Amino acid sequence: MRTEAIDPPGITWLRVSPKYVTVRLAGWALSTLFLVALLCLPLVLVLNGVWQSFPLWLAVAVPAVTLLLALWRLLLIPRQVRAIGYAEREDDLLIRRGIFYQRTLVVPYGRMQYVDIGAGPVERALGLCTLKLHTASAGTNAEIPGLPAAEGARLREQLSARGEARLAGL
Amino acid sequence: MKPGAAPAASAGAAAGAPDGAWLRVHPASPFVRGWVALAAIAFFFFRDSFERMLQGGPLVDERLADRAPWLLLGGGGLLLLTVLGYVLSWYFTRYQVADGYVRLNTGFLFKQQRQARLDRVQAIDIVQPLLARIFGLAELKFEVADAGESAVRLAYLRMDEARLLRAAILARAAGAAPDPARPGEAAAEAPEHAVLTVPPRRLVGSLLLSEQSMFVVVGGVASVVLSAFTENRSFYLFLIPAVLGMVAAYWNSINRGYNFTAAISPDGIRLRYGLLDTQAQTLPPGRIQALRVSQPPLWRIFGWYRIQVNVAGYGGAGSDGGGSSRTTLLPVGTFPDVLTMLSLVLPDPGTTDPVGIFSAGINGLAAPAGSPAHAPADTGPDDGGFVTTPQRARLLAPLGWRRNGFTATGTALLIRSGRWWRHLVVVPHQRTQSMALEQGPLARRFRVVDLVLHTTAGPVSPRLVQAGLDEGRALLDDQAARARTARKRQTSEHWLDQVRALAADPAGTEAPSSTEAAASTQAPNSTGAPSSAEAPTNTDEPANTEEPNRQDDRQHG
Repeated sequence: MRTEAIDPPGITWLRVSPKYVTVRLAGWALSTLFLVALLCLPLVLVLNGVWQSFPLWLAVAVPAVTLLLALWRLLLIPRQVRAIGYAEREDDLLIRRGIFYQRTLVVPYGRMQYVDIGAGPVERALGLCTLKLHTASAGTNAEIPGLPAAEGARLREQLSARGEARLAGL
Repeated sequence: MKPGAAPAASAGAAAGAPDGAWLRVHPASPFVRGWVALAAIAFFFFRDSFERMLQGGPLVDERLADRAPWLLLGGGGLLLLTVLGYVLSWYFTRYQVADGYVRLNTGFLFKQQRQARLDRVQAIDIVQPLLARIFGLAELKFEVADAGESAVRLAYLRMDEARLLRAAILARAAGAAPDPARPGEAAAEAPEHAVLTVPPRRLVGSLLLSEQSMFVVVGGVASVVLSAFTENRSFYLFLIPAVLGMVAAYWNSINRGYNFTAAISPDGIRLRYGLLDTQAQTLPPGRIQALRVSQPPLWRIFGWYRIQVNVAGYGGAGSDGGGSSRTTLLPVGTFPDVLTMLSLVLPDPGTTDPVGIFSAGINGLAAPAGSPAHAPADTGPDDGGFVTTPQRARLLAPLGWRRNGFTATGTALLIRSGRWWRHLVVVPHQRTQSMALEQGPLARRFRVVDLVLHTTAGPVSPRLVQAGLDEGRALLDDQAARARTARKRQTSEHWLDQVRALAADPAGTEAPSSTEAAASTQAPNSTGAPSSAEAPTNTDEPANTEEPNRQDDRQHG
């Protein structure tokens, strides 16, 4: 499905590093493994004859469906990563994400309270980082994951400088 | 209203004291705060004797007579320890107002120093629980911009001290430097003009017609029907705790909302309320981040509305016990009351026809489908300037599509929604933190988007639902631009105009001169002081990243 973007027109988006797909894959593998293993517990019990009353088809179906859904999510990951974008405008930063559930966020530089940079183990191994902006509102969930470390540092400096220049009261 | 001339002694003790003096709270305060513990000890030890006395027996049980000295000693020791603890906690609690900061030191084993910047004060409350009220004491509580717990509490001060200190803090927060020649002058309390009150009858009526009561009726009917059908009496038993809970909730609402009075003064909107425990809130101008006018279905009979606000530091409703009452700007009011409060919060509505636009926002409804009012079928119909959900998306909100809409005035964005539960959200342009457009698969099918405005934590979460795609996109850009320009010319100068207009009213004959005096001391930068360079108005004060608003230092002592 060719989706019509909800972004304001005339914006060139900067995309995050393609290596971020690996980070997402690692996260996906870990959570899927854990979830499927947990849901396979009834199956093991039924096959060993410990839990006789539990229907076999259900014990098979639950992990199978979960696995299918997980595989579908797996197929979406590269597209989701490609859908993440950010753009620095004159007075605000735009962040977009999502394919089915799209979101375009505008954070004025003057509203930023502080900027965080974090990196998980997988991200660090790949030389990536996650940049997070904080405003006075808890609802501002402004995150740019999968930035190359150098780009992250540059963006942080840039944002801090611009924020200082345009800082406004609460 | 307080007469301007306070006793010199108390002025010296509270606000007029030289900068940097460390002061203590009232000696009785730990007892007022901890009276429950004292009462419990007394109850525990004397209940027995009291009962026996009533029965005419000896004060002490014969069997315990030999052990009585030990018991008395134990009780006395416990009492002494408690009192000693109270005295120590009082002795080590000290506060200071100096250099633009309020500092509060507490604790003798675990010391805590807390400081708050005066120009960051978001709101300031004077709270009087019943016992404190009997002794003429009050707690001063103020918030700095912080989503966390209530920032600084000074409990308890004498009532007049608390008021003087509040006036001093608000004066400094507004940027008025204390006059060294006349130290008492700056602390003069700003005069205020009562704007509206909520009569108790209306409060009770609003409670009876609230959502809460609808649930009570529905629940009661359901349990009666259930017990009739199943012939099981136990359903009545379930009603007992429910009724107790309901009575407590109603009592709470009446206790908090009783005698609600709103007043305006140069240093902010004053709200007072409470039956047994009274509270006086002061919201300095421009501190309200977002506002919502709402009307439950049954309130429509009498045309009542409720106003809730987001104020930085108040946090979400219910976080602090009285959270929901603190974020209520008007518990129940008529339409003129709502307009009055809106005019206080938004002194400059940014439109030539504020009444028209607000009534369209609160009660308006777009023309029904198929009427000639909206000839181009693809754009949303329009009433009172409100752009509503386009007709193509009416399946998504069969009832609400004619209500859901937005409009922007020169100073604020108005978002209305809800056919039965009517809501109107007002967000001043310069208070917008960030914005987001959101769209799910179903919304994409109908080419509509949601626009979310992020504000500080509170009961109001502004969200424009199902605006047309093109309108939403345009709004995102326009709103970003509007917020930007609004931030650049952020002043509170209209505030004093508002006060003058009220002072010029025939109602307050002696008021104007004192208002002028207060205006010149309270906020010189807004009365036409020459330069704007040295005008640290309470709103556009640029320093909220480097310096934390509040610092807690804990150390073992």
